[in-house]
Amino acid sequence: MIAILKVITPLLCWGGMMLSLARGIGSGPTLLAGGCGALFLTGSLLPLLVPSPLLVVAFKGVTAAAFAILWLASIGGIHGAGGEARVGHAAGPLAGRGGAFLASLLAGAGVGCILVPAGGVAQPMALMAAAVAGVSLAVAGAFAGRFLPRWFAPSGTGLWALILALLLCIASSSPRLDLFSPLTMRVMKFIHDFVHQFFESMLLPDHPFIRPRVWEYIGILFSSGVGFWGGVVLFFAPVGFIATAIRLTPLPSVAHIRRGAERRLLMASYIRQRRHQQAAPILAAAVLSLAIYQSRFPSVDYWDPAPVKVTADAAGKILIPEKGEPEIGDGRMHKFVYSHGGTEARFFVLAKEDGEYAVTLDACSICKPEGYGQGESALICYYCKTLIPLDTVGKPGGCNPVPLPFRREKGGVAIDAPLLLRSWDETVQATAGGGGERR
Amino acid sequence: MAECIIETRGVTRSYGEICALKPLDLQVRDGEWLAVMGHSGSGKSTLLNLLGGLDRPDGGSLVVGGVDLATLGEDGLARFRRERVGIIFQQHHLIPHLSAVENVMMAQYFHSVPDEAEAKVALQRVGLGHRLRNRPGELSGGEQQRVCIARAIINSPRILLADEPTGNLDHASTVVVLELLSELRAEERFTIVMVTHNQEVASRGERTIFLDDGILVREELSGR
Repeated sequence: MIAILKVITPLLCWGGMMLSLARGIGSGPTLLAGGCGALFLTGSLLPLLVPSPLLVVAFKGVTAAAFAILWLASIGGIHGAGGEARVGHAAGPLAGRGGAFLASLLAGAGVGCILVPAGGVAQPMALMAAAVAGVSLAVAGAFAGRFLPRWFAPSGTGLWALILALLLCIASSSPRLDLFSPLTMRVMKFIHDFVHQFFESMLLPDHPFIRPRVWEYIGILFSSGVGFWGGVVLFFAPVGFIATAIRLTPLPSVAHIRRGAERRLLMASYIRQRRHQQAAPILAAAVLSLAIYQSRFPSVDYWDPAPVKVTADAAGKILIPEKGEPEIGDGRMHKFVYSHGGTEARFFVLAKEDGEYAVTLDACSICKPEGYGQGESALICYYCKTLIPLDTVGKPGGCNPVPLPFRREKGGVAIDAPLLLRSWDETVQATAGGGGERR
Repeated sequence: MAECIIETRGVTRSYGEICALKPLDLQVRDGEWLAVMGHSGSGKSTLLNLLGGLDRPDGGSLVVGGVDLATLGEDGLARFRRERVGIIFQQHHLIPHLSAVENVMMAQYFHSVPDEAEAKVALQRVGLGHRLRNRPGELSGGEQQRVCIARAIINSPRILLADEPTGNLDHASTVVVLELLSELRAEERFTIVMVTHNQEVASRGERTIFLDDGILVREELSGR
């Protein structure tokens, strides 16, 4: 039951895709419902045949490629907007059906992936239930399309922007499939690397009097919002371009009509048609907003216990007993906080499947120290939404929590307090400004 | 014989207990100029409002320009008014803070899209090429009525409904307005249904019907 709740939003997106396709590509409802429904069914059952990580990678790869193509198409649309006079164009029947079938397969695969926990196994019953629901929605959507208002007839790049937005919304329902958070990370990294290379090339003045001033401005580029807003711009730009291209495309000439009223009526119909053409990119923008919201505030309940305060003995050793409160050997992440000299260093202990412990800071070396939550088979970085498989916790690098040296002794885990404080200070200093390593 | 552009069968309209129009059968030919006469309260304006889609009959059938008005919803009626009929009122109903050309463009706006050049031509046709930027308050009654005529014909209606268009005008202006309507009808070939109290004005039409207490009591053919 809980599994089905997870796919309500993706299934609604799928229904929206079918409605849009029913009005957009002009295929008969029987063909559309049959073809798209069958491919959704196939996609949603793929996790039974293909390993989940591989399917996730394939889904994200194809969706990202489609997004890149949409970018190109939208730029092409702007480029061509000044030329041919038209009021919108429909995709050819073959291209339309091909796109619809690919989108259906992807939507099914997305729903299937959402139902498979990270590192877990697919549950056939849940997948079957989702597949049946998806096929029912395909049939209902294909036939319900005819009851939509007549003016809603998305076509061309507008239609595909809407379909892709719905796919991205399906993807953002699960942190594993989400494309927005990785995009924001890449934007952040790009800006960081760009600035780094810029300085390395000594293109900016490095005079001791100028340098602090320059860093005031450079620091803005590392603020927490830059990655997010950069991602937002990249996400929304294609639909913005498409809407602009529709607006810029000249209307057909009506000069050949002599009667003024008839001429104006025809012109008004063209203007109305063009306005309706913009409904698809506007709807796509609304769906993308939902996708970004889901990405920023995932509706997943993570295990995130309140940090337990710990103290160090005279020798500077912090001892976490295995059989105390909390019991750290239960396979769940347990957070602790050590306060000293105004610094509060958070760390956690996690007993892994092989019985070994991992002791790490509740922070990584590249993101702001917003901490981690534990989901199914993975931790998630609250800042960048990266999933960290449990078996890699305790290893350094990337967005993994920074590992701490520890010893197992006297039925517990011993950590060196000064080392903990130093590690925390270094990590926080490096990342508190908002993501990206310190230059 | 021209086809019938207006056909009413048993049309009735009451306001509370007052029966403004009793079952009325009327046919108007395409291109005809019909005058409607009768004393106050005889149902003239009620008939005009029904023909213009400004009001709905209580019963009977009302087909105007091939459209059965009884079957139209509010949107359909609005479209009918925009595209099929032009209406001239005795009180002009011009928008006081808009200029003459803007008043005409307002009719274009609700019909389709405004076209200032076309609106200017329409005003030039009614002899107001020199008063384009004047507001209604700066125009005489006759000039205001001519703006109304330009506004009524700008969307090329098939039927022009005029509710006492010369009721507020002096004799000279009345003649100008009637001449103008004659010329425009000859050019545009629209049908005119004109309500009037004035026998001389009614005589400009080809046929006059007389209403009394909501009943069509008599009709006369004009010698014109």
